[in-house]
Amino acid sequence: MINRLPALVRTTTFRLALVHAALFIVFSGALLVYLYSATAGYLGRQAGSELNAEVSALSAAYARGGFSRLNQSVIERSSARGPFFYLLVRGDGSKVSGDFDMLPDDPPEVGQTDISFDYEARSIEGDVQRKSAAGRMVRLQDQGVLMVAYDTGARGEIVGRVTDVVWTSAFVGIILSLLGGALVSRWAAQRAEALAKTAEDVMAGDLSRRAPVLGSGDEFDRLSERLNAMLSKLERLMVASRHAGDAIAHDLRSPLSRLRNRLEGALTEPVGEAREEAIEQSLDELDAVLETFNAILRLSRVQSGDSGPMQLLDVALIADELSELYEPVCDENDLSFHAEVKTGLYVQADRSLVAQAVVNLLDNAVKYTPKNGAVVLRARRTRAGDVELAVTDTGPGIPRGDRSRVVERFVRLEQSRTEPGSGLGLSLAAAVADLHGGRLELTEGAGGPSGPGLRAALVLPAGQKTRQD
Amino acid sequence: MRVLVIEDDNDAASFVHKVLTEAGHAVDVEGNGESGLDQAQSTDYDALVVDRMLPGLDGVSLLRSYRDGGGRTPALFLSALGDVDHRVEGLTAGGDDYLSKPYAPSELVARVEALGRRSVGEAPVTKLTVGGLEMDLLARTVRRDGQKIDLQPREFRLLEFLMRHAGQVVTRTMLLEKVWDYHFDPQTNVIDVHISRLRGKIDKDFDAPLLHTVRGAGYRLQA
Repeated sequence: MINRLPALVRTTTFRLALVHAALFIVFSGALLVYLYSATAGYLGRQAGSELNAEVSALSAAYARGGFSRLNQSVIERSSARGPFFYLLVRGDGSKVSGDFDMLPDDPPEVGQTDISFDYEARSIEGDVQRKSAAGRMVRLQDQGVLMVAYDTGARGEIVGRVTDVVWTSAFVGIILSLLGGALVSRWAAQRAEALAKTAEDVMAGDLSRRAPVLGSGDEFDRLSERLNAMLSKLERLMVASRHAGDAIAHDLRSPLSRLRNRLEGALTEPVGEAREEAIEQSLDELDAVLETFNAILRLSRVQSGDSGPMQLLDVALIADELSELYEPVCDENDLSFHAEVKTGLYVQADRSLVAQAVVNLLDNAVKYTPKNGAVVLRARRTRAGDVELAVTDTGPGIPRGDRSRVVERFVRLEQSRTEPGSGLGLSLAAAVADLHGGRLELTEGAGGPSGPGLRAALVLPAGQKTRQD
Repeated sequence: MRVLVIEDDNDAASFVHKVLTEAGHAVDVEGNGESGLDQAQSTDYDALVVDRMLPGLDGVSLLRSYRDGGGRTPALFLSALGDVDHRVEGLTAGGDDYLSKPYAPSELVARVEALGRRSVGEAPVTKLTVGGLEMDLLARTVRRDGQKIDLQPREFRLLEFLMRHAGQVVTRTMLLEKVWDYHFDPQTNVIDVHISRLRGKIDKDFDAPLLHTVRGAGYRLQA
């Protein structure tokens, strides 16, 4: 039913315009009442008080000089052609003096009464006009009746004019507000239609489509900007998950096939030690696969911007904890370990992720640095004001040309193939840096007998310095 | 120990049942949230193992209702969602530990047994003793056969955790979580190195070793 209305009428803006028109009608009515009371009402009250004055003046004349004095006053006033009409009648209703021939209504038995009536007046040209009047009849003590009245036609004319003006302007106002509403809703409908079109295109599979932003900064622009930001994030997630899927398919296929072959081999072995060993090896291999799988999931979550609670972290605290955790590990591997940690470094970060990223860097340093080498963990502020957590080793380093490649998923350099690991450590560190708005820097390290060494630095933007303590 | 397992997946439930039964525990299994909550409230268990995803009443809501009803049995969440925020959500709902799938059987047993022990020792302890090894938690001192042993603060916490779970297997992951508060697995043998250092201090100069390596599972402190 509603859907059969034209599209324009169905817009919110047009409905708002209708509401405005209704409000305008109410306003016009109120204005009418106000203008009436300010003009016609005022005139009425004015006439009323003049009538009071007139009646009391005549009453005073009657009190002073009786009926004849009153009669004289009525004749004088009547001939003066003031705004009032008069009529003085005797107790039997016969006219004594005044402008009318007879009373328009039955007079009160005693006291006075207000009246309003119509009368016919003859103009000089002889036309008969119906006019209306209002006034008061007063019963006199000697049974006569005095009537004083005034014409109300002028008042009615003013009321009519005021009403006309108000109605005309209300009509114009309503037309204008409907017209304005229609124009505005057409404009709004077009903007909304552009947004809807974008959504349709995206649903149809074109994730690169973006809603138009006109640059006026209005609510539609803000909506478009949010929508575009959402689409960008969505696109990133889609790409990330597609990559993750590819990577899983690619890198898990070979260990899984190996596992399958081994289990198949175990099946043909006679029950005994060889069979047990094959099964144990398969379990180890399966654990490694699961490990890789978990690492992929974790990496995907970090890359899609999923983090735990972000808090203001004292980097020195993490560096100290990790030093304490890794110093014995280096010792065990015949590496010297050294930490240089500056205090007062704060970042807004997910503690667990930052720790994990640095642990990955430390793991790499321990794995690839030959015996008697050195590993250094440094926490400091860079010249640009960022906070840096750097792990430097004296291992073989990474050739310049490979540095951007090693942060990609599953990329492992030839010489590291023999070491255990998933090839996701640096990818995760880079993703963690990215998530915090920072970066992972790979440069040459301290140098040593086995190569230039590697310096891997997690550079994070400094958090707010809330060090009032 | 008497353990209630609330898990809807039949394979997973029978796996948990098998693993815990083989470790010598009495195990009941419930297949959905409502019946699990009823069972947990009507019977006295030493530990609950709750899957996070359950038909009807999910694990987190189940445990919240159970705790609101005054239930105090320690609970372990099992979940395919191993991320930190899910873990935190599980712990705030009244869970005592969190294990994400897939997990090794030894890990499950170690964690369930660690929970059961907790429910017994509720009174504040000031002294821990395992064989000739004594730890004074107030003075922060450790002695073995009356001989003082100097430990770094972290070594002290590591030993404290092992002593509190004396006789039980504790896994490397558990140690990294409970002693260092890190929830990921390093590639290198970080925990082994710290254990071997600790071993050097508490076992080296004495006849009978207290700190044993349990192959394929973790470590156990036992006289």
